[in-house]
Amino acid sequence: MKMHNPELINALVDGELKGVRRLLVERHLRGCALCAAEYHHLHHVREMLAANPPNAEMSDSPEFFWSKVKRGIQACEGKTVEVPGSQPGLPDWLGAHRVAIASAVTVCAAVCAITLISHVRHTMTPRPLVMANVPPPTVINQGVTAPADNESEEAAQPTVEHVATALPEAVATTVDTKDKDVTVIWVSGLPWTPTMADMKTKFANLDS
Amino acid sequence: MDADHGGHENQVRQPRQLSMRRFLTGLVVLFVAASSHAASINAHLIQASNTSEASDEALKELEPKLKKEFGYKFYHLLGAKQESLEQKTKSRLDLGEGFVLFVTPQSEDKKGNELEIEWWSGRALLVKTVAKIPAKRSVFIKGPGVGEDWIILALSVHE
Repeated sequence: MKMHNPELINALVDGELKGVRRLLVERHLRGCALCAAEYHHLHHVREMLAANPPNAEMSDSPEFFWSKVKRGIQACEGKTVEVPGSQPGLPDWLGAHRVAIASAVTVCAAVCAITLISHVRHTMTPRPLVMANVPPPTVINQGVTAPADNESEEAAQPTVEHVATALPEAVATTVDTKDKDVTVIWVSGLPWTPTMADMKTKFANLDS
Repeated sequence: MDADHGGHENQVRQPRQLSMRRFLTGLVVLFVAASSHAASINAHLIQASNTSEASDEALKELEPKLKKEFGYKFYHLLGAKQESLEQKTKSRLDLGEGFVLFVTPQSEDKKGNELEIEWWSGRALLVKTVAKIPAKRSVFIKGPGVGEDWIILALSVHE
């Protein structure tokens, strides 16, 4: 609160300010001589009024006054009347729920701290090295393989140094496999036959 | 007296020398047996199909790997051969249905056996490859299609 605000000082004197808003106004008063003087003046007036209450004299008797109020209520029955009310602001709401907010903030801080600690422990704990799953050397078309970089992987999976087919329209290649125990050579473009007998005949007469 | 003494010592030594010779002979036999132990290659000619009624029991070990790689439901064994591997010696394996496999071991080390492999069908050389196959590992070669089926050659080396 940096600006002078007589309404807020009035509200403070009347005891309408609560929570953070009240703290902010009080802090401002401690640093602002003008507003502090205004506050003391208003406070003094309030004390004077409290000490000398006005003698209210009613023009009507209480019974007659109440009958007029009653008639007025009955006349307004069924009508919707907007009652002006003060909408609590965010600072007021914060002040009213400060215990709940403090609890929520504490819980969040605790959760964050636990997460951070577990993460730090996880990163600090030495873990066994996991070998990268290096794909087997691939032979493109009828070419030569790329040499395997990983010695242990080479030992685990069969490797194909060279692959070719003698059939003119066929191509032989190694393909990536899902199982590291297995290497697959794929020969595509081979003659297709409807039956096994046809295949034997076909290949028996096929000269590569 | 001394001679008698010496003769007695010889009599004691003779059984010891004999047992030592037997022990050394046993060691040599073991060494020779170990060095002459050769790996062998197993070749399976397989028909992969989706219409067969059941897979072969003989392919029980290979079937999960075959399914993973080729996706067919059933695998029928057309022929199988096993042959000992002798370095630089070409072996012929007749797998049936006109398919013949020639295997020539090139070298052997801890990483496996390097084999030159030729897969023939009739007069056609389907595949010629040089592959290093570690023990208990497999090389699958997808061959020609027959109807809706595939012919697959599965090779594995056993110590």
